[in-house]
Amino acid sequence: MSSNRELTMSSYVGIGVGLMLIVGIEVMLTYRHLSPGTLLFSLLSLASLEGFIAIMYLMHVKYERPILFWTIFPATLFVLGFLCYLFPDAFRMYSMRLLK
Amino acid sequence: MNQPELTITPSAVVITPGHEVLMEASPYGVDKKKLGMWIFIVSDACTFGAFLFAYGYMRIGTPVWGTPFGFSSIVNGMVMTAVLLSSSLTMLAAVRASQSRAKASANKWLGVTMFLGTVFAALHLREWFKLIGEGWRLFYNPTGGAPQFGATFFSVTGLHLTHVVTGVIALAIIARGYTQGRYDESHVETAGLYWHFVDLVWMFVFPLMYLMNAH
Repeated sequence: MSSNRELTMSSYVGIGVGLMLIVGIEVMLTYRHLSPGTLLFSLLSLASLEGFIAIMYLMHVKYERPILFWTIFPATLFVLGFLCYLFPDAFRMYSMRLLK
Repeated sequence: MNQPELTITPSAVVITPGHEVLMEASPYGVDKKKLGMWIFIVSDACTFGAFLFAYGYMRIGTPVWGTPFGFSSIVNGMVMTAVLLSSSLTMLAAVRASQSRAKASANKWLGVTMFLGTVFAALHLREWFKLIGEGWRLFYNPTGGAPQFGATFFSVTGLHLTHVVTGVIALAIIARGYTQGRYDESHVETAGLYWHFVDLVWMFVFPLMYLMNAH
């Protein structure tokens, strides 16, 4: 983090192509007939990788002071992660319904 | 008793143009517009997170979920992704040009970004109208399964589409102000940050809303 050597425009194009390739992998996985859980995990992992690359390079966080990253991202990820707190109730709705 | 002498190092203070007073420099090393945009992005990320988690909650809790997207819709989604990613690159080019004081070039790239944003919105609306034509509504599933698919799909993608349209309008305002000299390169950079965030959100919306609902 916090490097002053910014990438050239052609490097950014390379990053864009790389992100598009990840999207291609996501589509390929979709038609591999994986189980919903495996597919969801794979897609979320790849989307998170894309998001990390976009934040670091396209949104320039890599070139900002580290304090900006450490102030914003742990708290945001904590809030987003804590929303999962509600998921067990969704499984209860699914498994305890009378008519399936 | 003598007061300790106050020493001010140049790196610890900033002099705001137009407000020639000494201020303590931001520990983040970014100007207030950019910091404000980051705070907005954090709150907006939580909004999108809540929408996507609500979708996940309903999807898990619903036995028969609609999967309306055929391969043509997925290809359409891929084209939309490519268009939005390209617009992020053209936005980067606009920011770079504005930082080099190349006003004409910056405006050109801002124009291309707005055009790509409009193309994305048009492709998105095409997908919407296709679904509506098949009978999908906010609270109606034409295949007879759970009706919640329409509610979650139209609300999540509608929220994102609103962000794209708002972004295009904001870029038009920034481009006009930048041409007239009312705005500078920091405004272009801050608008760029928003635009990249819109792209970032789509990286989660496409796999979760389209790929997870492909048949």
